[in-house]
Amino acid sequence: MLKNYIKTIGVLALVGVFGLAKPLGQAADTVKIGVLHSLSGTMAISETSLKDVVLMAAEEINKKGGVLGKKIEPVVVDPASDWPLFAEKAKELINQHKVAVTFGCWTSVSRKSCLPVFEEYNQLLFYPVQYEGEEQSLNVFYTAASPNQQLIPAAEYMMGELGMKKFYLLGTDYVFPRTANKVLKAFLLTKGVPEANIIEEYTPFHHQDYQTIVGKIKKFAAGGNACVLSTINGDSNVPFYKEFANQGLSSDDCPIMAFSVAEDELRAMDVPPLVGHLAAWNYFQSVRSSDNRKFVRAFKSYCKKNKLPGGSKRVTDDPIEAAYFGVYVWKAAVEKAGTFDVDKVRQAVYGLEFDAPGGKKRMHDSNQHTLKPVYVGEILKNGQFKIVWESDGLVSPDSYSRYLHPDGDYPKPTGGPKKKG
Amino acid sequence: MRHSLAFFMAVATGWMLSQPVAAADSSADTANDTALLEQMAKLASDDAALRKQVLFDLAKSGDSRLEAFLENYRSGSVYLWNGQIVVCTETEEDEDFNELAPLTHPLTGEPVLGEDGNQAKPDILDLEDMSPDRAGRLAARSALFLLKLSSPDRESRLVAVKKSGTPPYNAESIPFLTDMAENDPDEKIQFTARESLLLIRLGTDVPLGQAQERWAAAGQLAGMKSLRALPVLEELLRDGGFSKHGQAAREQCENAVASINSHQSFVNWVGYVFQGLSLGSILIIMALGLAITFGLMGVINMAHGELMMVGAFTTYVIQQLFVNHLPEGLFNWYYVVALPSAFLAAAFVGWLIELAVVRHLYRRPLESLLATWGVSILLIQSARLIFGDNIGVNSPTWLVGSAEVMQDVNLPYNRLFIITLCALCVAMIYTLINRTKLGLRMRATMQNRDMADSLGVNTRRIDSYTFAFGSGLAGLAGYALTLIGGVTPDMGQNYIVESFLVVVTGGVGELLGVICSGLGLGVATKVIEPMQFGDFTVEAIWAKVFVLACVVAFIQFKPAGLFPPKGRLADV
Repeated sequence: MLKNYIKTIGVLALVGVFGLAKPLGQAADTVKIGVLHSLSGTMAISETSLKDVVLMAAEEINKKGGVLGKKIEPVVVDPASDWPLFAEKAKELINQHKVAVTFGCWTSVSRKSCLPVFEEYNQLLFYPVQYEGEEQSLNVFYTAASPNQQLIPAAEYMMGELGMKKFYLLGTDYVFPRTANKVLKAFLLTKGVPEANIIEEYTPFHHQDYQTIVGKIKKFAAGGNACVLSTINGDSNVPFYKEFANQGLSSDDCPIMAFSVAEDELRAMDVPPLVGHLAAWNYFQSVRSSDNRKFVRAFKSYCKKNKLPGGSKRVTDDPIEAAYFGVYVWKAAVEKAGTFDVDKVRQAVYGLEFDAPGGKKRMHDSNQHTLKPVYVGEILKNGQFKIVWESDGLVSPDSYSRYLHPDGDYPKPTGGPKKKG
Repeated sequence: MRHSLAFFMAVATGWMLSQPVAAADSSADTANDTALLEQMAKLASDDAALRKQVLFDLAKSGDSRLEAFLENYRSGSVYLWNGQIVVCTETEEDEDFNELAPLTHPLTGEPVLGEDGNQAKPDILDLEDMSPDRAGRLAARSALFLLKLSSPDRESRLVAVKKSGTPPYNAESIPFLTDMAENDPDEKIQFTARESLLLIRLGTDVPLGQAQERWAAAGQLAGMKSLRALPVLEELLRDGGFSKHGQAAREQCENAVASINSHQSFVNWVGYVFQGLSLGSILIIMALGLAITFGLMGVINMAHGELMMVGAFTTYVIQQLFVNHLPEGLFNWYYVVALPSAFLAAAFVGWLIELAVVRHLYRRPLESLLATWGVSILLIQSARLIFGDNIGVNSPTWLVGSAEVMQDVNLPYNRLFIITLCALCVAMIYTLINRTKLGLRMRATMQNRDMADSLGVNTRRIDSYTFAFGSGLAGLAGYALTLIGGVTPDMGQNYIVESFLVVVTGGVGELLGVICSGLGLGVATKVIEPMQFGDFTVEAIWAKVFVLACVVAFIQFKPAGLFPPKGRLADV
């Protein structure tokens, strides 16, 4: 008995010595980055893929010699889809792990929860998901779309290309759909769509019963030229599309343009009834270029090699691309600045041009967002998108929508090369 | 510009395309096909007006094989490959994740053969894109609908007939519609064609002299109870484009709206009742298992939702087995096989839970609540680790779609199936509990364990059976829910509260209570949801709030639920 204890203590001591020695030895030539994505709880379904791709980017960079000669050491924490926990975990990353930068968050409420922490400690967060705008923090770089890079072009497509006259704005009840629909409604009204032709409706999170709503849509669309602009989020999409198809509606009767359904979500859906419906993003896996081919191949091989669920069946999509190139933007900025110092890195990000899997992109000169192309895709049987429309070059981001602030009365971008520290 | 070289090559090699077709078709068709292919080749031209002309010429040929081609052209699936026009709708991936394009013939849809005699699968990046620009896509779309008017496929014709009745109208479709309104073999299409013709008449501005006929269309549409006419009429009334037509025209439209609306409100009520029944049956099927484990046995099983998840994942596993190991034709049978499998898998997991956890905690509700909650977290995370988050269960094709029982009333097959399944389950439980020896022993054990024990009932085994049976029912609920919603590891969390709600409202321990409260809650939710008070529409969020408030109030007055236990049982 006693012998066993001594053995255990001995082993523990050994582990302790080596365990401690290792980080000490490494400290000089590694730099830590934080990965703040939910790996459990409701958002795990979406956020796990982003964690995977950030780790993949770090691994790629390390293979090519790291950043400023330092290897990246990712620190993964799990805020468990619990919004206040995002703030605590952010604090942990900054104070305990001393990370140089953090990549993370999906929902706006999680971002808003940890934002004060990043501002208090003057740290950087790269945020990879399309959101409602109306925000401008010097401590966040938004690598995904602002409303005018996704919502507005999509609405224009529906009006111009498909000749839609009636719009059913349907969303899950939280901040992104509410603000997005406000922007969309203001836009449609300025384009001369009468108020009576716009319906706005919300369902609770996890809503499963779409019978009444689909019934309403059916009446709404009976006269033709009607469409749904959907900001339904997460697991409610499956029952919504199923009910839609089962009540005899198709994309010919009333196309659904979705803002929260990407390739990764389609993996969980019964795709045949969805064929022909639309989505608007800044990247699709089906973007045709050899850079993108390399990226898709790398991601699938990475998932297969590391035996992640789904393996080589995994797909890339817009947030995954945005999370991935976020790491590279940070790397390029660090190398341009020649230091990990947050203020200098931030200055280096403004106006940075870079090659992303989906093509050349650029960071805005002053407003924390990214200039990106916009695509509209039609859902195919195999769960991929056929790109049916693409914007003419890169679309410049508005952090505050001009449709919500028609008189230009909004906080002006405060970033930019002129401002120091 | 970049197309021009390809254009000449395409025209030059146009005759080559017809070669494989020649073997299959008679010579008359071959000539026709060659002409069509030559037309298609012109789509590579730089001249936008010519391209548009070509699209409409193709549509007017009435060849139904062109439907697929026009659709593919519109969505940008038509390419030039070595100067040939080819189609690739979906790409494939090789082991190295290259995106390969299996090519098909633009007209026949047959595989285009490569040099090795197999289907040609060049890399997608090696194909030259022929995607149309915006004007081209719009032209292809209207050409497609024109073509579909003469399609042999009923669904295509129906869609096209509907489209012709919505603005912008295509004058070329009117002769087709007039013909179809009389002669189409399908009654519904005849009806829709008549409707579309009237809608075109109603929606087209005419000189004052012919106005009589235009406004008469409103009356005829009202006679058809046309739902599609409603928005058109309402818009006319709103925009007030009547000044030159006078009061009579206005009245005609107003009468038509009133008459269609009165039919619609009847349709709505039929809809609400069906939707309520459907939601109710889902609530009941979720709560049935709980009615056994909580209602009869008094165990607060927080893992009940996860047992549903086990049923749903079993359905998924069976589906994958069918997809991976059996011929495609048998796919639909997976859902039949999954029914007993889901029940047995969930029953087995329930049996294990009873054996490992619940057995030690009978009559200690608080501890069993916490322990089973722990089990539920364990099950969720295990499912996540094994299957990952994103998995899809495809409904069998015989449960997709709906039956149109009367004009504008569609009853989806999946919901009809769940209502039936629910009724069967209720019948089965009723028989088991009230008509069999096992049921008698169950009831005896639950009512007075010591007495049952002393009369020779093996109460230990009965507990175990009962819990497994209740769990199996939860598995069936999960199985049914794959038809409606998504399958995720934490799907059970969405349903657990509602299940308890139904059981508690109904009265703990009463099957009839579960049925009444399930149906009651379902119908109440569905009737309240679409209600309107002035400008305020209730909608899903407030309907939920309202129903919950009602339940809370109800429990205040009748704490034991709709059907409280009576007599000596009430004191236990």
